[in-house]
Amino acid sequence: MTITTNLAPKNGEKEFSRRPATSTQEAILTLAAGSALAGLGIWRRGWFGATMGAAGGYLLYCGVRDFQRPYQGRVRVSYTIGKDRQEIYDFASNPQNWPRFMHAIQVENRGNGQFAFSIGEPAGIDFESNVQITDQQAGEHIAWASAEQMLEHRGVIRFKQAPGDRGTEVSVALEYKAPAGPIARALASLVGWGPEQVVRESLRHLKQLLEAGEIPTTKGQPSGARGIRGTAKRIMFREGPSEQAVEQTRMAGD
Amino acid sequence: MKALCWQGKTSASVERVNDPSILNPRDAILRITRTAICGSDLHLYDGYIPTMEPGDVLGHEFMGEVIETGSEVKKVKKGDRVVVPFTISCGQCFYCKNQMWSACDNTNPNAWIMEKMYGYSGSALYGYSHMMGGYAGGQAQYVRVPFADIGCLQVPDGIDDEKVLFLSDIFPTGYMAAENCDLKGGEVVAIWGCGPVGQFTIRSAFMLGAERVIAIDRIPERLKMARAGGAEIINYEEVDDLVEELKWVTGGRGPDACIDAVGLEAHGVGLAAAYDYSKQRMKMSFDRPIVLRQVMQACRKGGVVSIPGVYGGFLDKIPFGAAFGKGLIFKMGQTHMHKYMQPLLQRVQNGEIDPSFVITHRLSLDEAPEAYKTFRDKQDQCIKVVLDPWKEAAAA
Repeated sequence: MTITTNLAPKNGEKEFSRRPATSTQEAILTLAAGSALAGLGIWRRGWFGATMGAAGGYLLYCGVRDFQRPYQGRVRVSYTIGKDRQEIYDFASNPQNWPRFMHAIQVENRGNGQFAFSIGEPAGIDFESNVQITDQQAGEHIAWASAEQMLEHRGVIRFKQAPGDRGTEVSVALEYKAPAGPIARALASLVGWGPEQVVRESLRHLKQLLEAGEIPTTKGQPSGARGIRGTAKRIMFREGPSEQAVEQTRMAGD
Repeated sequence: MKALCWQGKTSASVERVNDPSILNPRDAILRITRTAICGSDLHLYDGYIPTMEPGDVLGHEFMGEVIETGSEVKKVKKGDRVVVPFTISCGQCFYCKNQMWSACDNTNPNAWIMEKMYGYSGSALYGYSHMMGGYAGGQAQYVRVPFADIGCLQVPDGIDDEKVLFLSDIFPTGYMAAENCDLKGGEVVAIWGCGPVGQFTIRSAFMLGAERVIAIDRIPERLKMARAGGAEIINYEEVDDLVEELKWVTGGRGPDACIDAVGLEAHGVGLAAAYDYSKQRMKMSFDRPIVLRQVMQACRKGGVVSIPGVYGGFLDKIPFGAAFGKGLIFKMGQTHMHKYMQPLLQRVQNGEIDPSFVITHRLSLDEAPEAYKTFRDKQDQCIKVVLDPWKEAAAA
């Protein structure tokens, strides 16, 4: 897939398909059903056959179109942040602020509008994505694209005045093509690394940071023994690694 | 420190865990002086709230002394005596600014779980499952209070802990339930459930101008306490048909407002109750909406149904036709705590109400696991349990 890098909003033209992404298996099924139906229709003839043939033809058309679709996944997330548009844009467009709200991501500025994103914290995941800023208009939008083998993606973040003095609607639209299939994607979501979740949490963190001044957390709080299942779920609930309960100095002082 | 940890269905134990520490700039740490067991804690205890995990520290009604504050805490100072609402709010988002505090956008670290289940996430709560934030609760010796400047209500000296402790949940919850009835004076209000919230609802309804309050329960000591608060009482086990009975005692009109202060673990008599029990036992439903059905059936035309009782999932056999046909008004939700705490503290200071009337048991933290059982089974005339986390267990 070649990526068209310019995602700047054009007048009256949608840059993302409104249909959800289809997997290869689904497209194959559609094609198989389509050819079966069309073949049956030709064999049967008559008005009934013609109807079946038409339906089969439509399915064939859908299947071919699904195969041609240039992406596998699509993410759309929007939050309203109760702050001035310019203020949010200034904060969100500054690469130095990105690690503060982007979900556990490290950023390296390579100059010329190019950035290298990598997953910092979780051990064992070797992931890097080189991103090119493709279009940027102050206070309006920032668009980017990446043509890496590992994860091709392109997206745009937009800033729009919300109605009724509610601040600014900040939205991210992103399409991506990942090498892994739907099962791997579901597994990734479970530990907070689904593409949709990464975008959603990053945008939420931006909102929390700008509105409340901090990102809420329970990482490092006390708890009783969790057991095996509970310890595994800590990742899901973002509580961080299990800590052994130890005797505290404050206990002795009181 | 010592803390009461949830261990699974109908199991909780006092364990030694780490002391809490400041994790964010707007945090404060409290040394808890008094904490209470809430009726909604029993939903956790009975295992009806999803995303509880073994080891979770329970408790969302507590007060104490501030012993440490984060770098961005401005109003609250070390040494302050404070009571903390059970909902956690940031004070800066659209909802906080518009007095809908329990709908706060910015306090739940696990908001995505609630977004999956409910569409949107409300504010986080203390010690009330991971989808509600997963914050460690206050049935412990210390607790971390996020957004301390917004959350802590400073309590003036000279008022007993027991008089202000219930500003943390049940008094404002009962008050909001009554306020939601939009009373203008002269109304008849019926309240299902005479537990602690029901008791405060009875008294709040009178404060707000109700002429008659009808309290419904089956436990003698709870009905007695309701009568002491000025309510007329109905024991639903002693009447044939509760809806007919309410019609009878209200001149055929029905109550102007009906309040469901029971929630998802309702008891009841008859076929509908048996149906709900079996469904819940088969894990086909989290909720037993027996009271909700009665409330919708009994309310007068155009009346208000106010629901402070907790519900969690998808409710079955709800007479929505009755609700539509009578044009009922529904009001519900977690209490917008921060809106009510200061005015209600004022009422306590003025001597209009002494919230400690509801306490029946004063125990140590070590006795808490036993107290959950006593409270749930309504043994020993138990209505409200208050715990002192620093008291040594009385020798049995």
